[in-house]
Amino acid sequence: MNHDLDIKKLRNHCYRQSKVPGEFMLQMRAPGGVIEARYLSLVQHIADTWGNGLFHLGMRQTLSIPGIKYEDIPAVNRYIKQYIQEIEVDLCGVDMEVTEEGYPAIGARNIMACIGNIHCIKANINTTALARKLERVIYPSPYHIKISVAGCPNDCAKGHFNDFGIIGLAKTEYDYDRCIGCKKCIEACAKHATGVLSMENGKIVKDTCCCVGCGECALVCPTGAWTRNPTKFYRVLIGGRTGKQTPRMGKLFLNWVTEEVVLRVIKNWEDFSAEVLEHKPVYLHGGHLIDRAGYNRFKEMILKGVQLNPEAMVAQRILWTETEYRSNFNVRPVNGVRAEG
Amino acid sequence: MSTNILLPRPHRILAINQETEHEYTFRVESGAAAKHGQFYQLSLPKIGEAPISVSAMGDGWLEFTIRKVGKLTSEVFRLRPGDRLFMRGPYGKPFPIDDFKHGDLVVIAGGTGVAPVRSTLRYFYEHPEEIKEVYFLAGFRDEGSILFRADLERFKARFHTIYTLDRDRVDGFETGLVTRHLGRIPFSTLTRYHVIIVGPPVMMHHTALKCLEYGVPEEKIWVSFERRMSCAVGKCGHCKINETYVCLEGPVFNYTKAKELWD
Amino acid sequence: MGYSLSYGRMNEILKELQQNYRVYAPRRWAGRGRYSDTDLIRYGEIAAVEEVVHDEKSDFSPKEIIFPITQPLFYFTEDEYRESRVDDQGLLIFARPCDINGIRRLDTMFLKNGDSEDSYYRRLRDKARFVLMECGTGWDTCFCVSMGSNRTSDYSLAVRFLPDHLLVEVRDEAFKRYFSQEREVEFTPEFVTSNPRTVRLPEIDSSGLLRKVYDLEMWKEYNSRCQSCGACTAACITCSCFTTSDLIYNENARVGERRRVWASCLHEDFTAMAGGLGFRATPGERLRFRTLHKVYDYKARFKEEQMCVGCGRCDDRCPEFISFATIINRLSDEVERLKKEASQEVAGQ
Repeated sequence: MNHDLDIKKLRNHCYRQSKVPGEFMLQMRAPGGVIEARYLSLVQHIADTWGNGLFHLGMRQTLSIPGIKYEDIPAVNRYIKQYIQEIEVDLCGVDMEVTEEGYPAIGARNIMACIGNIHCIKANINTTALARKLERVIYPSPYHIKISVAGCPNDCAKGHFNDFGIIGLAKTEYDYDRCIGCKKCIEACAKHATGVLSMENGKIVKDTCCCVGCGECALVCPTGAWTRNPTKFYRVLIGGRTGKQTPRMGKLFLNWVTEEVVLRVIKNWEDFSAEVLEHKPVYLHGGHLIDRAGYNRFKEMILKGVQLNPEAMVAQRILWTETEYRSNFNVRPVNGVRAEG
Repeated sequence: MSTNILLPRPHRILAINQETEHEYTFRVESGAAAKHGQFYQLSLPKIGEAPISVSAMGDGWLEFTIRKVGKLTSEVFRLRPGDRLFMRGPYGKPFPIDDFKHGDLVVIAGGTGVAPVRSTLRYFYEHPEEIKEVYFLAGFRDEGSILFRADLERFKARFHTIYTLDRDRVDGFETGLVTRHLGRIPFSTLTRYHVIIVGPPVMMHHTALKCLEYGVPEEKIWVSFERRMSCAVGKCGHCKINETYVCLEGPVFNYTKAKELWD
Repeated sequence: MGYSLSYGRMNEILKELQQNYRVYAPRRWAGRGRYSDTDLIRYGEIAAVEEVVHDEKSDFSPKEIIFPITQPLFYFTEDEYRESRVDDQGLLIFARPCDINGIRRLDTMFLKNGDSEDSYYRRLRDKARFVLMECGTGWDTCFCVSMGSNRTSDYSLAVRFLPDHLLVEVRDEAFKRYFSQEREVEFTPEFVTSNPRTVRLPEIDSSGLLRKVYDLEMWKEYNSRCQSCGACTAACITCSCFTTSDLIYNENARVGERRRVWASCLHEDFTAMAGGLGFRATPGERLRFRTLHKVYDYKARFKEEQMCVGCGRCDDRCPEFISFATIINRLSDEVERLKKEASQEVAGQ
C-alpha cells in the first residue's frame, strides 16, 4: 500500500488514522445527535462497502465508520456528498459549498446534545433545534470548538466537560391563587435540585438566587400553579475539558440568557480563537485558550456586540478547579525556556 | 343568601387552667345548649380552626382542653381571662346520655380521650340519682400527661375508678395499658349498662375487642372518633370514612357502626 | 330555538353578555403545560369566542370558577370576622356535559351534605349559567357514557363550533334577547353516545364484601406506582375537598385572612392531626379511598348517582400513567371474583 499519506489533511476531512496502516475511520456529523433513521442505511452501506462492517457510536455523537481504506476515500466522499448537503446545508442551514472532497473541516467538532424536549419529560428546551442553529454558526470553522447542549440542568449531555456547555433552563412562574400549598414542589426541589422553595403562610416562597432552572416544580405541581415562562433561557458553562494533563469541569459563565445571546456568544468564538492562537488554528481545548487570554479578555471578546437580556447574569470571575495530572501546569519559565539544573 | 355556617363568634374567656406541660383548659362564656360528646370549631390564632371537644359544661360556660403541639404554636396560649376566643358549634352527635340513665356506665378513656368523656362523667357525678354505678378506667402515658387531676380525685368518691399510667409508677395509679386492667370491671355482673371507649385509635380498637371478649354486646359500646376537620359541617371531606362523615354522623358512634368505619 | 351566526356576530353578542356576565371558557396558555413546549388548557375569561378551545379536552375542569382554588372566607381583626365578598357579575361558563353533570355532584356536596348550605359555594353557584359545548366524538380517556353523564339539559345556551360560523341553541329565556337579530335555524346539540373506553361499575352489596375490597392486593400495587401528587384530584370536576387555614398579616395585631384551598385525599397529610396521628399511610390506601369515594361511597350516601362522571381528566393528568378507568374495571373484576368465591363457599357448606 501507499505509505505516503498526509494524515493531517485527511484528518481535516474527518478521517481519523487507524493503527492499521492505510485505514481510516470516517466521522460523519450528526448535529445534536438526531437525524432521520433512514440515514442509518447509508451508514451501513459505507461500512459494508468500504469499511470493515463495523460502526461506532462516536463519543461526540458522530456516525463513525472504521476500516476505510485510503484508496476508497474518494469514493466514500462522493457517496456522502448528499448526506452533507442534506444535513449541513438543508437541515442546519450551514453556509458552505458541498464538494466531492467530503467534510471541509474538523475544527468545530460535532455538537452533542441530549434528546431534549422532542422526547424527554425533564427537558426544558428543544436541544436538537438549538444544536442545528449552532452548527450553522460554527461550521465549517477550522478553529476547534466543542459544544454540548443539555435539555436541563441534569446535564446528561455532559456540557460540563465541553468548551461550551449550554443548558436549557425553565424560568418557572408561580400563580399564588392556583397554589394549594401541598408542598410537592418543595419536596421535588429539595430532592432533585437546590431546595430553594419553602412554605410561608400556606403558600410557596422561592429563593431566586439559587434556583437552577430545572423545572421540577412545574413538573410536579398538581394544579398548574407553577408553569414555565414560555421564553427559553440558558446557562452557558465554559472551559470544561477532558485530557491527559489537566481535565476539569466547566464553570458557570452566563446564567439566564436567551437563545439569541447564546448564538451571538458562540459566533464570537472564532474571532477570539484567532486572536489567542495568532490566526493558527491548532487543536487546543477552549479552556486553554481562555487561560491564555485570561478570563477578563475572554469575557470582553466573547461578549463583544452581544446585547444581554435583562435577566442575564455574567460571571465576574472563574475559579477553576483542575485535576493536575501534570503539576505546575500554570507555572511558566520567565523567558520561555526552563533553566538548566 | 344562605347564612354563613362558617362564621365564628367571639366568646369571653372566663378562666384558663394549665393541666399539663402541654395542655390547657379554657373556660369560655357560652349559653349554648351543647350536649355531652359534642365539639366546637375553635379559631386558634396563627393556626386556623380545629375541632375541640367540650370537656366540661356548666351554667353559662363551656370548657375546651387544647394541646400545645407542633412547630407552630398558636397564639391562643397567650390569651388571658377576659380576652375573646372565636368559635362556632356545637357540632356532631353526642353520647346518648338519656339511654345511659338509671343503668350502669363503664367509661374507658386513654390520654386526651378523657376530654370528650369528662362532661358526661361530671354530669353523673353531679346527678348520682340518675345513674347506678359508674366504672371509670382512665389511662395516661406518664405522670406528666395526667389530665383533670382535680376531677380524677373527686370522682373517686362516687365512681369505681381505676387510673393507670403506661410506664410510670406513681402513687394512686396502676401501671400498664387500660386493657391490662379491664378484667377488674365486673362486666358479667352488669345487666343494664353501656360502655364508652375513647382514646387513640389503637387503644379504642383493642379495648373494644377485649370488651367483646368479656361478653359486652356491640350495641352497648360507644366510641368517639377524632379526625382532622376543616369545616365540621360535612363539606371539607377530611373526616370522611367510607360514606360516613365523622363531623355529621359522629364523633360519637355506636360500635355496631364504628366497627365498619375502616381507614 | 336555534340560530346560525358568524364568529363576528357572536363576538358582538359576547360583548353585550359581558355587561352582565364574566364569560369563562377553556383557553390555551401556550407553553404553560406540564412539559416544555406543551400548552396548558384551562378555564379563563375570554375576550373573543375564537379563544375557546373547543376541539381539545381541558386539563382542568370549570369547577375552579365556582369553587376557587384559593378562596378567602373571612378577613379578621381582633374584634370581628368579616365575610369576604363577591361582585354582582353573573358567570357564564362554556362547559361540556360531563362537567355540567359534575357540578351537580358539587352541588350535592356543598349544598346538601349535612343540614346546612355552604354559602361561599352558593353565592357563586347561583350566578353560574352554562354554555354547553358539544364534544364531537369525545377523547380517548372519556368514559362519560358508562357513567351516564354524557347528556345534560342543564344549560342556558348550547354551541356548535363550525369552521366559519356557529350554531347556537338558546334554551334559557333570559338569553333570547341577545339573539333576536340572528337567523333562526334548527339546532339542538348532539351528545356523545359511545366512548372508546367502557367502564364496568363494581356492585358492592354488603359490608362484608366492602371489607374484602379494602383488603384487596390490587391497592398495594399502587404503592410503588402512585406518587401521591394529587394531579388527579386537582383535575377532577367532582373533587370537592378543601383545607381551611389562617394567614396572619401582622402577628402582633392578629389581623389576617381565613381562606380555604383545595385539598387532595392523595396527599400524605390529608388526615394528619396536630398530635401526629393520621390515617391511610400508603399511596395504595389513599388511592383506594379516592376510588371508593368516586364509585361507591358517594352513591351509598346520596343514592341517585355515582360521583365520578367519567371525564377522564385524572387519566390525562396522571404523570405515572395510572388509569382510573382501569382501576374501576379491575375493582369490578375483583368484586365479581369475591362474590363468586363467597357463593361457592356457601354452596360448599
